[in-house]
Amino acid sequence: MAKEKTVQVPEIIDNVDALVAKMKAMKEAQKVFATYTQEQVDKIFFEAAKAANQQRIPLAKMAVEETGMGVVEDKVIKNHYAAEYIYNAYKNVKTCGVIEEDKAYGIKKIAEPLGLIAAVIPTTNPTSTAIFKCLIALKTRNAIIISPHPRAKKCTIAAAKVVLDAAVKAGAPEGIIGWIDVPSLDLTNEVMRSSDTILATGGPGMVRSAYSSGKPALGVGAGNTPVIIDDTADVRLAVNSIIHSKTFDNGMICASEQSVTVLEPVYDAVKKEFQARGCYFLKPDELDKVRKTIIINGAVNAKIVGQPAAKIAAMAGVTVPETTKILIGEVESVDISEEFAHEKLSPVLAMYKAKTFDEALEKAERLVADGGYGHTSSLYININEKEKMAKHAAAMKTCRILINTPSSQGGIGDLYNFKLTPSLTLGCGSWGGNSVSENVGIKHLLNIKTVAERRENMLWFRTPQKVYFKKGCMPVALNELRDVLGKKRAFLVTDSFLYMNGYTKPITDKLDELGIVYTTFSDVQPDPTLANAQAGAKAMDAFKPDVIIALGGGSAMDAAKIMWVMYEHPEVDFQDMAMRFMDIRKRVYTFPKMGEKAYFVAIPTSSGTGSEVTPFAVITDQESGVKYPLADYELLPNMAIVDTDNMMSQPKGLTSASGVDVLTHALEAYASIMATDYTDGLALKAMKNVFDYLPTAYNDGNNVEARQKMADASCMAGMAFANAFLGLCHSMAHKLGAYHHLAHGVANALLISLIVEYNSADVPTKMGTFPQYEYPHAKARYAECARFCGIQAKDDDEAVKKLIEKIEDLKKAVGIKPTIKDYGVDEKYFLDTLDEMVENAFDDQCTGANPRYPLMSEIKEMYLKAYYGK
Amino acid sequence: MKTDKVLATRPHKVIYQDGDKVWKVFDANYPKTDVLNEALNQARVEETGLPIPRVHGVTVNEEGKWAIISDYIEGETLAEKMAKDPENLEKYMKQFVEIQLEIHDKTAPLLNKMKDKMSVRINSLKAVNATTRYELSTRLESMPKHKKVLHGDYNPTNVVIDKDGKYYILDWSHATQGNASADAATTYLLLTLQDPKMAEMYMTMFCDMSDTAKQYVQRWLPIVAASRLTKAIPEEKDLLEKWLDVVEYE
Repeated sequence: MAKEKTVQVPEIIDNVDALVAKMKAMKEAQKVFATYTQEQVDKIFFEAAKAANQQRIPLAKMAVEETGMGVVEDKVIKNHYAAEYIYNAYKNVKTCGVIEEDKAYGIKKIAEPLGLIAAVIPTTNPTSTAIFKCLIALKTRNAIIISPHPRAKKCTIAAAKVVLDAAVKAGAPEGIIGWIDVPSLDLTNEVMRSSDTILATGGPGMVRSAYSSGKPALGVGAGNTPVIIDDTADVRLAVNSIIHSKTFDNGMICASEQSVTVLEPVYDAVKKEFQARGCYFLKPDELDKVRKTIIINGAVNAKIVGQPAAKIAAMAGVTVPETTKILIGEVESVDISEEFAHEKLSPVLAMYKAKTFDEALEKAERLVADGGYGHTSSLYININEKEKMAKHAAAMKTCRILINTPSSQGGIGDLYNFKLTPSLTLGCGSWGGNSVSENVGIKHLLNIKTVAERRENMLWFRTPQKVYFKKGCMPVALNELRDVLGKKRAFLVTDSFLYMNGYTKPITDKLDELGIVYTTFSDVQPDPTLANAQAGAKAMDAFKPDVIIALGGGSAMDAAKIMWVMYEHPEVDFQDMAMRFMDIRKRVYTFPKMGEKAYFVAIPTSSGTGSEVTPFAVITDQESGVKYPLADYELLPNMAIVDTDNMMSQPKGLTSASGVDVLTHALEAYASIMATDYTDGLALKAMKNVFDYLPTAYNDGNNVEARQKMADASCMAGMAFANAFLGLCHSMAHKLGAYHHLAHGVANALLISLIVEYNSADVPTKMGTFPQYEYPHAKARYAECARFCGIQAKDDDEAVKKLIEKIEDLKKAVGIKPTIKDYGVDEKYFLDTLDEMVENAFDDQCTGANPRYPLMSEIKEMYLKAYYGK
Repeated sequence: MKTDKVLATRPHKVIYQDGDKVWKVFDANYPKTDVLNEALNQARVEETGLPIPRVHGVTVNEEGKWAIISDYIEGETLAEKMAKDPENLEKYMKQFVEIQLEIHDKTAPLLNKMKDKMSVRINSLKAVNATTRYELSTRLESMPKHKKVLHGDYNPTNVVIDKDGKYYILDWSHATQGNASADAATTYLLLTLQDPKMAEMYMTMFCDMSDTAKQYVQRWLPIVAASRLTKAIPEEKDLLEKWLDVVEYE
């Protein structure tokens, strides 16, 4: 083993200078220990535990002899436990290097030691606590320096030495365990100040000092374990468990029972059993004598700690049989003015009578609050009394709640319950002023480093189960309603124009032919309102359709989706459903399940929104004017029917605005940070169709081929952005449209070129956040679009420049005016509302997918450019 | 200095009245640092505005003994009133506590620190073993640090009420700054040594009126008992040793 340069360390540590030298040497030793492998450590841990185990009897004898407290045979058990149970619990646990790894998720945990641990050891359990702390320090590659209590220093040091010698023999660095030979407050404070962490056991005074040392501390505190014996309890098991626990090491365990509250119906039986098993009930005059002996000014008389019952009685001037197990005081008050209500650290027990379980709980709560916050409580009960047990667990502010278990042996774990961590240092949580609330173990002595590798999210491609297209496909597709789906009642949603002009007739004729009953709601307004949708939903509720058929443009399809939601889930709140999300998978609101009542068929009559294949719908609150954009895959139609016959009579204005909208969908979906190969193909083909066929569709509305190509483009772009989402152009267009009553497609058309230019920056102010978006590459993406659409360019810059020119040419060809101003938007009103509009656009749901994360000032600049035309 | 009117004779000192002044004359071998410290303490407390006898001089008399000259306060001590008028004991006790709380309301940042003083005393205490000293030191160390003016020997003989009903607080030789509960614990101890019933009355009233938990004052008792034990008064030994031999639960 590597020998560090030796620091001169005095033999006996009895002053601060010697201690400082000792700790320095230990820190060096620990550095070496920190490089040990799991195999080396496990060998040391094994040998050390074995050695401690072998010395359990001599160490127990020493402890009792030196401290004058406790019972040799019980201390043997504690030493045995500290060696064997701790070894057993941790022998196979990884504590060195990589202790956990998940390759799929790219996460790895690496264990490192803390360094030098300061251990304050109490007088009540000196040898076992020393063994325990030394063993867990060794297992975790820490050095440990022990500050013993002066009353127990010899045995504490002896125990530590046993562990040290065995560890060094097994290969541990020399001096990896150390101790103060002559304890004093100065030295204890120095140990706490100069260590890396403190394992303090030893009463509130010591724990407070530990916490105020400024070092991380695992301090634990006082207990005042109250027991309740319910009238359903097994009295014999309860009483004998309590005796077994309370007499253990003469009652010095901090988890030991201090009071028993017995339900009235079993009180006499409990008392009788206690008496039969050798416990002594103090008579009224004796009670007072014992009170004054055990507690002095609210604190435990040092002379009674860990003494046998008969000796304590004698000190109080009370004569009891020599073999008396426990002195029991039947008392009434749980107030601290009652000496029996305190922690007594001896075989002295308070006994209360309670009329009801609630009264017993109240008593226990008070006893815990006054003396044992956070420690341990105990209940004896028939385990079928689930309700009472739950009530007890809820009421007790204790970190261990033991059922039908002797608390001294039960609280330390692994003896009466095999999932409770074995430990001789029991955390009391914030209630007890502790940093831990569980039984202290090796995990508290490790620093865990987490190595997290970059991973990409799972992505998806979701679309309606059935998308039917081609001129004349509608009647064929509708056959399925009866033949495949067995639908009987159809609810048709459309607007009055389409209804009045007979567009619903081919559908209703078909439904008649299929024998499907139907009704028509033909009152969808442009920019449909909640009230509008509510009216439709009411009609649906009356008609009870099993299929909804939406016929129309974006408004009719969106309104029908909202009616669908209201029909299936009348309880929903639209504000909740419209809540903004960063990642649709992690959204706060869970969208209700759709499709339980009705199947949804969408039939578009314009080439624009793509709503027939998207999970989106927008609805306006008529009172506040607020638009609720809803987005969830539950809103995907089940069937989309894209029939060119329905597209033929779109007016010119609609053809052009919605046509440019399709182009915007395709461009934004392609540049989105969530774009995938799956959506890219659809987006590219859609934008090419628009460039190639929109002018013809615009100029010659009866050109079937152009109409069909545009219908396909609209639906393909819809599928692309249903999965890749949109971007800043749509964010800004949403607000521009809302504030200044511009058609959605026109608003997009006014902004799209600016956005392409803005996103193409090589050095954007900020980029969008998504693991698969590795670096700003929007320019290259737009260049790909340009080339696919037939542009020849020497480099990406030129390609993007030409793409923007192509977009501008297209806009001109289909009658889009150059600026916002040209559409008659009042300049003053535009400027007055600009800042508000900017903030709302920034906060729009579409912004998140934009490849460049925008600053509000940048949005404002673009709005101004779009208004004035540069 | 006139020596005809002796007001009191105490271990190591005699107190004379000379007109409207009082001369506290110390024994010849009395350490002068203690004399100067006492005068300085008194002067510092004077600056807090508490009604106390004002220091007028520190001097050495004709016999070469150190003396502190301060105001003579005409009146009756609370101890005398309590003894004369036991019917009204509760009323006097209430006044006694009120005055103590007034003291605790003041600060005097240059006074010695009570914790330092207690620590020195505990460490000098050879009557108990090292283990007990360690426990007492640990207990002291864990107590919250405050900086209130503490009298240090507050008992009813040190409060004088003049004929107009105005009160004065005497004897500031033990004054320090620190945690008020320690001062209350000292008073409780002093009263217990004389009259345990009166001590209980005091404790209850102090805790009520200062809104302090009794346990909090009680936690100081082993420490003030240890401090008192340094005086080594034989008749107090049993009680004090019993008081300090308690353990912090573990």
